[in-house]
Amino acid sequence: MAVSDIAASDIVETVPTALIVLDRNLNITSANRAFYQTFRTSADETEGCHIYDLGNGQWDIPALRALLESVIPHRASVEGFEVEHDFPTIGRRTMLVNARKVFRPGDHDGSILLAIEDVSEERAARVESKRYWHLIQSIVDTIRDPLVVLENDMTIVTASKAFLKIFGITEAETHGRRVAELGQHQWDVPALRHLMEKVLPENKPIESFEIEDNFPGLGRRVFNLNARKISQPGNHAHRMLLVFEDITDRKQRERDALSLTNEISHRIKNNLQIVVGLIAYEAKWTAAPCVQGYKAMQARIGAIAELYDLISQSSRGQTVAVDAYLREIAKTMSASLIGTMSGIEIEVKAEPLEIDPDRAVPFGLLVNELATNAIKNAFPQGAGHITLSVEKVGDEIELIVADDGVGMKDKDSVKVPEKRGSDYVAIFVRQLGGTIAPSVSEGTGTIVRIRLPLLLIPGGAERVAA
Amino acid sequence: MAVILVVEDDVFIRQVAEMMIQDWGHDILSASDGDEARVFLRSDQHIDALFTDIYLKDSVLGGCELAHQAIALRPKLRVLYTTGNFVTEKMKALFIEGTQFLRKPYTQNQLEGCVAAMLAA
Repeated sequence: MAVSDIAASDIVETVPTALIVLDRNLNITSANRAFYQTFRTSADETEGCHIYDLGNGQWDIPALRALLESVIPHRASVEGFEVEHDFPTIGRRTMLVNARKVFRPGDHDGSILLAIEDVSEERAARVESKRYWHLIQSIVDTIRDPLVVLENDMTIVTASKAFLKIFGITEAETHGRRVAELGQHQWDVPALRHLMEKVLPENKPIESFEIEDNFPGLGRRVFNLNARKISQPGNHAHRMLLVFEDITDRKQRERDALSLTNEISHRIKNNLQIVVGLIAYEAKWTAAPCVQGYKAMQARIGAIAELYDLISQSSRGQTVAVDAYLREIAKTMSASLIGTMSGIEIEVKAEPLEIDPDRAVPFGLLVNELATNAIKNAFPQGAGHITLSVEKVGDEIELIVADDGVGMKDKDSVKVPEKRGSDYVAIFVRQLGGTIAPSVSEGTGTIVRIRLPLLLIPGGAERVAA
Repeated sequence: MAVILVVEDDVFIRQVAEMMIQDWGHDILSASDGDEARVFLRSDQHIDALFTDIYLKDSVLGGCELAHQAIALRPKLRVLYTTGNFVTEKMKALFIEGTQFLRKPYTQNQLEGCVAAMLAA
């Protein structure tokens, strides 16, 4: 069946728009089902009734009178005539009325077809949306940080007063333009554009995107950009809030601090290198049995230097990451294992625990002594595996240094260098308030277990990783 | 044995490093800054490797810049960097691919391992 085969009356009864037909005297000759449903009335109450008398006169609306009595007589049709009225049966409504004169053969007076669409919800949403964006504009103007609100197509809807003031532009210069087009195109950065394109469709905020450039009238500046999607509840329209935070001063302070830290680090490491060099020079002219002692001293200085990078990044209240520190020790020791000892591997298994900087030096020296002892004594063939592990056990830290070497022999305890190393171990454990379990041989290796109190000053400090 | 150009602005550190390197049988060329190093690099002198401090006098990344100039002049040159500073991502990005790095303070064992690895690369 073609659309043209369907009876006009069937179409009239099916469409959701309320339709009524009036004669030349404005009496209602018919109405469709949508009209009866929308205005909660019936055919009996409607047909033959004058439009102004319908429903106890609720259609006697000045605006409708103007349409029917002044406009229609002079025009064949009227579209989009808006009527807002309080209907006793359905409350306040906004109606969009289309009117058309209809002539049938032999009927010279003609009839008037009124199509009435209830647009109340749409109009209410529009008013609410206006109110909402007006509120947004008020907030935008109140915030001290420069910011803009962008439309879906990335054009600027509004810019805050702070934005206009800082960048020395007028509202007219921003409206409808893209951020990338502003100024001397400082914001036209591909990475930023890419991120901005994802904010609305994927609801992916931009967090701290840094741009450093020369800005007219401002000079060299660093801005931190943050963006997120803003939307009105129940409304499908979304916009983007883009905030520009001027972090130039903060960045400069960070750079100054980093530069100073680097300068100090350079001097300290060079001084430590001189100490290590002095020892190396002495070792060169020392009898072979004493050389090991000099090398052990160099390793201890190295262990303190390892910590320096971590400690110097921490300030009051911050902590050093034990796991990261153990990995640094393992890396440095592995780099020292050359020639006949190059087959020794050092592995780290560590929980993410923390240590306060004051106790980090004895802890580092303790690990260095235990690992050095294992390297020196466990592997006469120059190959094997050492594991450095740290885990939290109750309210203590357990440090384990294990190897799969030849195990302990009684005669080791009387060797002078190792005895000195053990003395150091005892001193560092005592300094840290810990206890050392007797070393045990398991299979072909040795395991040393040391229990230490938690090496963290209470009070929730920030963590510094390597 | 190799010829190694040592660039270090601290005289004592440089001389101890040179002493160690010579003990392993290598020949050394000594420079206290980039300018002195470039004189060797632009000469006909045979050089196998460059061992340079990164922080050279007034230039925080002077050693990195020197290494790039050195490779431009002598593409087959091996490079070993050293520094006591924090190794930043910016610094790492300047390292020539396939080169070695040694943190200060380094022991003779660590230097020996790095020199051997550099020359074997």
